[in-house]
Amino acid sequence: MQGASSGIGYGLKYQARCISDVKADTDHTTFLAGTLSLKEENEVHLIRLSSSGTELFCEGLFSHPNEIWDLVSCPFDQRIFSTVYSNGETYGAAIWQIPELYGELNSPQLEKITSLDGHAGKIKCILWWPSGRHDKLISIDEENLYLWSLDASKKTAQIQSQDSAGMPHKISGGAWDPHDVNSVAATFESSLQLWDVRAMGKTISIECSHVRSVDYHPKRKHVLVTAEHESGIHIWDLRKPKVPIQELPGHTHWTWIVKCNPEYDGVILSAGTDSTVNLWLVSLGNDDVSTESQTESPTHWVDPLINTYSDYEDSIYGLTWSSREPWIFASLSYDGRVVVESVKPFISKK
Amino acid sequence: MMGSDGDGDAPLLDDKAKRMRDLLSSFYAPNPSMLSHSPTASSKHSTPDDINSSSFDPNHYMNILVNNSNLEGLLKRHVDMAAEIKNLDTDLQMLVYENYNKFISATDTIKRMKSNILGMEGNMEYLLEKIMSVQSRSDSVNTSLFEKREHIEKLHRTCNLLRKVQFIYDLPDRLGKCIKSEAYADAVRFYTGAMPIFKAYGDSSFHDCKRASDEAIAIIVKNLQEKLFSDSEPIQVRAEAALLLKQLDFPVDNLKTKLLERLEHSLRDIQLKPEEIKNASPSAREVAILEFVEAIHAFRVIFPDSETQLVKIAKGLITRDFVITEEYVTTRICAADLLGVLRVIWNESLLMDEVLQDSALSDHFLEGAKAAVKLYVESAFSQLLLDISDCLLKILKRDETEEYSLETALDASTKLALQGGRNLLLDVCKILDDDSGIIDKLREPIIDWVQEGLQDFFRQLEDQFQSFSGKNNSSATQIHGLTEAAAFAGLVLVLAQLSAFIEQTAIPKINEELAVSFSAGPYEYGPAFVPGEISRKFRSAGDKFLQQYINIRTQRISLLQKKRFATPKWVKHKEPREVHMFVDLFLQELKVIVNEVKQVLPQDMRKHRRSNASSASSKSNSFREEKLLHRSNTQRARSQLLETHLAKLFKQKVEIFTKVEHTQESVVMTIVKLSLKSLQEFVRLQTFNRSGFQQIQLDMQFLRTPLREIVEDEAAMDFLLDEVIVAATERCLDPIPLESPILDKLIQAKLAKSLEENTSSS
Repeated sequence: MQGASSGIGYGLKYQARCISDVKADTDHTTFLAGTLSLKEENEVHLIRLSSSGTELFCEGLFSHPNEIWDLVSCPFDQRIFSTVYSNGETYGAAIWQIPELYGELNSPQLEKITSLDGHAGKIKCILWWPSGRHDKLISIDEENLYLWSLDASKKTAQIQSQDSAGMPHKISGGAWDPHDVNSVAATFESSLQLWDVRAMGKTISIECSHVRSVDYHPKRKHVLVTAEHESGIHIWDLRKPKVPIQELPGHTHWTWIVKCNPEYDGVILSAGTDSTVNLWLVSLGNDDVSTESQTESPTHWVDPLINTYSDYEDSIYGLTWSSREPWIFASLSYDGRVVVESVKPFISKK
Repeated sequence: MMGSDGDGDAPLLDDKAKRMRDLLSSFYAPNPSMLSHSPTASSKHSTPDDINSSSFDPNHYMNILVNNSNLEGLLKRHVDMAAEIKNLDTDLQMLVYENYNKFISATDTIKRMKSNILGMEGNMEYLLEKIMSVQSRSDSVNTSLFEKREHIEKLHRTCNLLRKVQFIYDLPDRLGKCIKSEAYADAVRFYTGAMPIFKAYGDSSFHDCKRASDEAIAIIVKNLQEKLFSDSEPIQVRAEAALLLKQLDFPVDNLKTKLLERLEHSLRDIQLKPEEIKNASPSAREVAILEFVEAIHAFRVIFPDSETQLVKIAKGLITRDFVITEEYVTTRICAADLLGVLRVIWNESLLMDEVLQDSALSDHFLEGAKAAVKLYVESAFSQLLLDISDCLLKILKRDETEEYSLETALDASTKLALQGGRNLLLDVCKILDDDSGIIDKLREPIIDWVQEGLQDFFRQLEDQFQSFSGKNNSSATQIHGLTEAAAFAGLVLVLAQLSAFIEQTAIPKINEELAVSFSAGPYEYGPAFVPGEISRKFRSAGDKFLQQYINIRTQRISLLQKKRFATPKWVKHKEPREVHMFVDLFLQELKVIVNEVKQVLPQDMRKHRRSNASSASSKSNSFREEKLLHRSNTQRARSQLLETHLAKLFKQKVEIFTKVEHTQESVVMTIVKLSLKSLQEFVRLQTFNRSGFQQIQLDMQFLRTPLREIVEDEAAMDFLLDEVIVAATERCLDPIPLESPILDKLIQAKLAKSLEENTSSS
């Protein structure tokens, strides 16, 4: 199971939690990673995979005023990205733009397009409109959801609507449904809550404990994957919210993040605090997922875990697939090491 | 002639004789073409130079001869040829002479025959005359005697008739006499003899006579019936009576059914009472059975054609016995009891088998016994299963019976699993060892059932375990009460150990037992009990349960930790005044776990070795720890952070996530490791001010001592505690650790306080 270390490494200077695929860059496989250092000058690294696919090099290095807890690249403009940051006491969120001609400048500064003010609590994440060029953004803090309308040219962002979770537990993260742009999922301590963006009202709620990460299946409607601290990974069909359609054991310690492959059906990546990245292959059956397929004879059961990447020194919090080359993923461990791996040898076998 | 040019003397001679014979026969034969067939056929293949063939060409032959032979050869050939020709001439002459002689003797014979035939005709005519006269005499005698003969015949017939009439007139009297002397057989014979006459003339001439004899016969029938029904009469007599009644056209079948009914009725009293069999005295039932067998015997003699019905009744009896036996079997009996019952039924069927030949009662018995034994084996297994699950479920009801600890539950259930299994096998062995011949034919099926039963038993046991562990799965720990959740964790732990025990001890032992006592029997498809498969199942189940236990426990701890870290504002934390209460809760939880684990899991045999191995690294840790405590200013703290990073790089990576083993140490260690790792993760999510950091430092420092008592791998534990502190340092805006005197003071205060609490509570 233990694959030989085939990954390509890249070191950030400080500890880090978040890495994002630059979806809008269609010419290169590029990632953005932000550091998390309380006391040092934080940085955003623009990392590019060489065309030969054997080397990672720094395409750009920008200083960021605070430690970065969340970073997402804008899906339609490769120069724009969002961060959630904290100075230790308070949290803030902002949309940034990488300056033009940054290669020629000595210490390029990020241009702040706008900051998303109005949050009171800990901001958890920013979600971009899932498909195509659109001005909508969602920011989630521990208690509230905000829908923003961004005007990049005027450098303003306005709150369109807002809803509070109104639950005893706090929101820990979220995902925007790529199949139904009116639906957003947010994770709570003991449940997964869906919102309808138009009315800013709650819709479905799924009971599951300690959800840490959620990701929609990019190809199948209604299917989403959650990662939970103690109980591993669950795959849900939103039409049958009572029971998960499949369970994966997850990690030895917390399962921190889970990502569905954008191209290959059933290929799921998870990373956890046991310093490993697991590659799963699950068969979700046909689109009309029935419970019968779950109760099939257990003799045909195959281990869904295809590979474990364990060449890490610390917990892994950052994980992303490359949308340009969907067999490539980048992982970021807490000690600031970016590792890019290819899952090709495992997928081609299937 | 068939032979080719001969190369020896013997074939030559043969050739010669043969040629002669052929020639002669062709000469005498009526159809020379037929005979000449074979020479021509052979001549076809012969060449003109063959002297024996009909297509012989002298010139050609000469040519070949001259060409092929030298002079000497030719001369020799010439001499040979001349000799041969001379020989042929003499032979020919001899033949002519012989024939001529034969011809002369034939003419002589013909002459003699002519003279003899002349005197014969006269003699013949004389003979004919004589015969004619004999015939006419005989005819005349015949006609003269004819009348007298007719007369005599007539008289004879009349006499017969008169005798018959006389017999019929005498019949009533005679019958009466027979009744008196009980010679019913004679009476019936007489009556049936007279029957045709009564039929013909009964209404006219012999009216009175017929009535009288009918009356007599009625009496006879009555007597015969009485005889038939009385059990006291000897069987032979009763059989005869039945036969006579049948001869009298009496509806015997009705009688038969009546008798059968009586027989069946008597059976109803013979109920099998398995409970009584233990009292070895010959019960009333046995006597009844003997009587029944007697009756069957009698019946069979009386009605020889009733066998099938009797067999049916006998089978019914055995079937009923087995129905009762099967009920009995399900009430937890031991093998001896079952054997007792089987023996009784077997004897019974043997008895009946003696009386009823070809009844295949023993087959019927075998079938019944088969079903009963099978049921016995099955119910024994299901009882065992029930016992074990009962035993386990008691854990969940622990609050009612306080005394029922995990240890006793585990003890009881392991004992049940092993001892119960072995007892069961021993019991079945008893059945197998029984030499009364009852189960001879059942031996192999029994072995099969036991094997199958074992397989099913373990499979079901595993299923049961799974369902137990799944019962309170998922979010149950939050829903149910605290005690219940704890009890459930205990159950899961017991399940884990029990599975391991079954895999490591029970299955091999039982398999051994199996090999000893159930080895006989060639299996068509291999033995049904596959210990490997079952072992594998239990191994994975055991691992799963252990993992589940750890999960349940760490989840509870994680809940504690979460509360601890979610509540305060760490950035605005006040200066630490004492070790936080959370540590107590954490330790308390660990204590419960240690307690549970100690009750259930075995100790690690290799503990000693491991602690030795870890001592070196723990030393380096304490060294590091000292440094950590004695640095005070910010600058130093920062360089120390770098140091720890470097240390981490060079130090052997501590294996935090190792495979869990079924030992106390391993499980406790795993839980502690996971909890400390969680702690680290929780810390990483926060941002601390100096006081917050110091609080964490204090708490972790305090934890070292009590944890050391619990865990086996101190190095890993120290490493993880350090990691928590390091994480806090990293997440601290102003990481200045507490001075070690203050740290010590606070820890001492806490220890004193907890000691005080302990004494006051105890």
